Amino acid sequence: MSEQNQSFILRAIKDVAIGNISKPQITDPHDIIVQIGQTGICGSDVHYWQRGRIGDFVLNSPIVLGHESAGVVTEVGSSVKNLKIGDKVAIEPGVPCRHYTVFAATPPHNGTLSKFYKTASDYCYKLPDHLTLEDGALCEPVAVAVQICKVGNVKAGQTIVVFGCGPIGLLVQSVAKSYAAKKVIGIDLSQSRLDLASSVLNSADGVFMPPPMPKKEDGTSHTTDEESEHSAKVAQLIKDKFDLGQGPEVVIDATGAQSCIQTGVHLCKKGGTYVQAGMGRENVVFPITVACIRDLTIRGSIRYTAGVYPQAVDLVACGKVQPQKLITHRYKFEEAEQAFETVRRGGEDVLKVMIEGVQ
Amino acid sequence: MVEWEGKEDLAFVLSVDRKFSFEPRTRPKPATSRDVVVRVIATGICGSDIHYWRHGAIGDFKLTQPIVLGHESAGVVEECGEDVTSLKPGDRVALEPGVPCRRCRQCRGGKYNLCADMRFAATPPYNGTLTTHYSLPDDFCYKLPKEMSFEEGALVEPLSVAVHSTQLAGIRPGNTILVLGAGPVGLLCCAVARAFGASVVVCTDIVQSRLDFAQSYAATHVHRMSGQPQEDKDALLQTLPVETTGFDAVIDATGVGSCIMCGIHALGRGGTFVQVGPGRPIIDFPVAQLCSKEGVYKGSFRYGAGDYELGVELVQSGKVNVRDLITHRFDFEEAQAAFESSSQQNGMKTIIYGYQVKQSWLAAKL
Repeated sequence: MSEQNQSFILRAIKDVAIGNISKPQITDPHDIIVQIGQTGICGSDVHYWQRGRIGDFVLNSPIVLGHESAGVVTEVGSSVKNLKIGDKVAIEPGVPCRHYTVFAATPPHNGTLSKFYKTASDYCYKLPDHLTLEDGALCEPVAVAVQICKVGNVKAGQTIVVFGCGPIGLLVQSVAKSYAAKKVIGIDLSQSRLDLASSVLNSADGVFMPPPMPKKEDGTSHTTDEESEHSAKVAQLIKDKFDLGQGPEVVIDATGAQSCIQTGVHLCKKGGTYVQAGMGRENVVFPITVACIRDLTIRGSIRYTAGVYPQAVDLVACGKVQPQKLITHRYKFEEAEQAFETVRRGGEDVLKVMIEGVQ
Repeated sequence: MVEWEGKEDLAFVLSVDRKFSFEPRTRPKPATSRDVVVRVIATGICGSDIHYWRHGAIGDFKLTQPIVLGHESAGVVEECGEDVTSLKPGDRVALEPGVPCRRCRQCRGGKYNLCADMRFAATPPYNGTLTTHYSLPDDFCYKLPKEMSFEEGALVEPLSVAVHSTQLAGIRPGNTILVLGAGPVGLLCCAVARAFGASVVVCTDIVQSRLDFAQSYAATHVHRMSGQPQEDKDALLQTLPVETTGFDAVIDATGVGSCIMCGIHALGRGGTFVQVGPGRPIIDFPVAQLCSKEGVYKGSFRYGAGDYELGVELVQSGKVNVRDLITHRFDFEEAQAAFESSSQQNGMKTIIYGYQVKQSWLAAKL
């Protein structure tokens, strides 16, 4: 009988359970086995749980969830040079077969919410002694933030506006500051999240809560045009409030909300870059003419690319980015379903929820 | 498809004391489940093959055990590893014969040609393609369109070197480019630069017959180098439109110090110089010129992601003609004579057919 490898498994939509899968064996000399110590929950994990799909990735058979993890190396393949047994590592969860890419916890590939996880040694990065496994696990969303800044070509001396002060938005702000951005502005609808940006993480130099659209006198709902007009007005309010002149060089949307996307495009300086990082509705009303006339570069950002994960580990190691300040809830492995439920219900008080590894 | 009926493979082997011989070899199996075994049909000879034969070393790569040379090849897939889905037996392919580790920073960053653990055919200690069957990964084989011959497929290798260099030079439509050297690589750089839309392509050499060929092949202007950098530079700049002070890009495919010197002098302000031809390891370099022009000097090494595909496309669409570069053809058993001929710079490109390859196949473009 195979050794126990307790895992948190998504069996079908809205059906999760703790179960046992086989313990991984090293078959490739470059692989290592990690005992998972900490795992953060991402919106995508919750989305697969509740909806069973994200775009073309469809749940057809059970998978283990989780992909924001760190742990301790328990076994190394014969060709592994960069790591040894006992090393604490942050795990980059998308390993290509080097002809294509396989990403953890994306159907049909298992994620990291198991006791033992096998992966390629060059996708694991040794953590310096002063970092905890929670820090290590949160290197994953930090890597997402680093990638976003890479895509946006964020540079010293620029002004950056970030829509959304959830984990990704906050981390993007922190990373932008570490790149010596002149001014970083955070936008959100929640005062407590804005406070996090301006006072706790100090990731933003200024924060702003966009005013809602005034209700119409006749009580009818707003038309698409009226919404678009309001978005343009909010963009001007932001420019005025923070003295942004022609506008920021880079606008990053980490909300996926249509109103933010519209405002963001209106806000961007001529020749500037707009990065879509947040995922909301698949189709939105988009101010395409503004994008055209102002010579904007519109880019999407997904996951991370070569060199980004190690950079994320460095930023956390030297304290320039402090993702552990985002942790609001901690759960034991047996409570994984409750952890997921906490993320699912959401709310202002829920930021990063961690699940401890199997003890 | 013509089936292999032979019993044993035959390889053309260079010994440590640099003597050629034919040796039997066991037919290889796919090295991994993603590898294929290719029957080699046509192989071009490269200057590096000649150099290992004549000198036994290039830089740090030294011949310490017998080696099979050759790396510019095309052939037919005969066997596929069990996880191969992109190819099947019978497919005609151009071979990209360098296997990187796929794990290091360079490989993961998309520059696998810079992999420190690259296993490149015909670079000691790795055997090349002058043999009957050769195993390599499926993603390093490129299907040949049916109109492309095996010989043209073999020349996709040096063409890819030219594609890689010319892309590093940043050629855009309307640009002017100086290519130093009218050997196969220089000529192919001229051809690729024309395909990329360069309006002025000047090619230089010291051999008049090569210049004549260059003029008919892909260059808009040719110049015979005198060896006096100032004189040469003045002559070269005459080819440019009046207001420009230098070429947008320069590619050196000679490795010769005086050519490089002249090339930097002829480089335009803000221009890019690409060094593709290796020569002496240390040269005199006009560094002040480079600095004051804010020139960019780039090394170019083999080829990388997308170069082979672009090479095949350039030949297929007729934008680059590789067929006209082939001047000499030899059967496998005459491989030694092929090397001797090529080393005397007879003609341009020499092709050696695979073991027991029948000429009629090449004519029929099977």
